Amino acid sequence: MRFACLAFMACLALGRPVAWAATGTIDTPPKAADWAAIAKLPDWSGTWTPNITDQDRRIETDPTPWTPTVARQVAAMQAEEKAGHPRGLFVNCLPQGMPSWMLISHNALEILFSPGRVTLLGESDGNRLRRIYTDGRGHPADPDPSFHGHSIGHWEGDTLVVDTVGVLPQTIIALDEAVGVPNDGDLHVIERLHLAKPDILVDDLQIMAPHVLRAPWKTSRIYYRQRARKYEIEEGVCLQGSFSNGTDREGHASFVPVPQMDGNSKPQ
Amino acid sequence: MAGLLVGISSYVSPCPAHHSFAMFDPAKTVTVIGTVKDFQWVNPHVVLWVYAPTKDGGAPELWTIELTSPGNLTRVGWTRHSVTPGDKVSVDIAPLRNGAHGGGFKKLTLTESGKVLTSEFKDQERPGLQ
Repeated sequence: MRFACLAFMACLALGRPVAWAATGTIDTPPKAADWAAIAKLPDWSGTWTPNITDQDRRIETDPTPWTPTVARQVAAMQAEEKAGHPRGLFVNCLPQGMPSWMLISHNALEILFSPGRVTLLGESDGNRLRRIYTDGRGHPADPDPSFHGHSIGHWEGDTLVVDTVGVLPQTIIALDEAVGVPNDGDLHVIERLHLAKPDILVDDLQIMAPHVLRAPWKTSRIYYRQRARKYEIEEGVCLQGSFSNGTDREGHASFVPVPQMDGNSKPQ
Repeated sequence: MAGLLVGISSYVSPCPAHHSFAMFDPAKTVTVIGTVKDFQWVNPHVVLWVYAPTKDGGAPELWTIELTSPGNLTRVGWTRHSVTPGDKVSVDIAPLRNGAHGGGFKKLTLTESGKVLTSEFKDQERPGLQ
C-alpha cells in the first residue's frame, strides 16, 4: 500500500510540528504493487443491504449510555414518536452523517477498494460517501468538521479497523429517524468491519461522545451481500423529493417546489 | 369520504427512508379508490397522488401517499413505470393521524390488470436475493 507520508515522516525526524505535513504531498501515485495488494484483501464487492430488524432490536439489546439529561430528552422523543408526533431529525435533507448512516439507514451501500483508500457509497440522503484512508496517514491536527468526519483505517487480518474524528457537533447520534441528539462535539468512532459469513458483513462500532454519552456505546450493525441488478445503488438526492417535474417560462424542463409537511409532500 | 374504505389491520412496517412514519397510523387502513394524478419516482420518498371521488358527487379529493425510496421499491419489484397517471387504482394506506388526505403506503392494486404491488422489504433480510 502507499505510505504517502514521506514528507510527514521527514518533518517528524526534523522535530517540526506535525501540522507542517499538511503542506506536503500526501497522495502519491499508486504503483503496480499497490493495485496488486488490493487483490489480497477480502472480497467485499456487491451491494450491502442493512438488517433493519436487527437495527431495531439493538436499541433494546445494546442500550445507548446517554448521560442522564440526554436520556430524559431521548425518552421524551420516543414518547412523542409513539404518540404519532415524530421529530423530523433529518427532514432538512442534510446528510445523516456519522454515526447515524451506519446505525439507522434502511438503504443499501457499497464498498470500493482502491490503493490507500476504502470508500463507502450509499443512497437516499444525498449520495452519501465516506472516504477511509488506509495508506498509513494520520488524522489532520485540526480537521475541518464534516458530516462524515475524517476516517483512517488499517487492516488487522481481514478486519478493517476505522477511526473517525472531526465530525460536526450538530451531527446526530440517532436511534431512528425521530429519536436522537447531536453529538455536541469531540465525537470519536472506532469501527471493526469484517465478514461474519461469506455474504454477511458486520460493523462493530464503538462510539465515544463525551458530551452526550457517559461511556462508550458499543453496538453492531449487519449487512447482507446482494449481487442482482435491482440492488445497484440508486442516486439519492434527498432534496429532489421537495420538487416535482415542471416547465420553466422558456419551456425548459425544470424543478417546481412542492409544499412539504414533516418531510412529506403536503396533502392538499 | 366516498371511494374510501376504512378498516383496522395488523401492523405493517412502513420502512421509511429519511423520516419516521409515525405521523401515519399503521393500525388503520384507508383504501383510496380512484385515478392516479401523478407518480413521483424520487428520493427520499416516492409519492403517489390519487384523485378519489366523493360519495356526494363533489369534486374528487386528492390523496397524497408516501412510499419508501426508489432503491428500496426497485428491490421489491417496482419501476418508475409501475404506476402511470390515469391508472385506476385501489390503494391501502395508513392514514395521517391529523385527518388530512394523505397516508403511508401499504398496498396498491391496479384495477385493470389486477396486479398487486407492496413495499414490504423486511423479508429481504438475507443475502443473495434475486
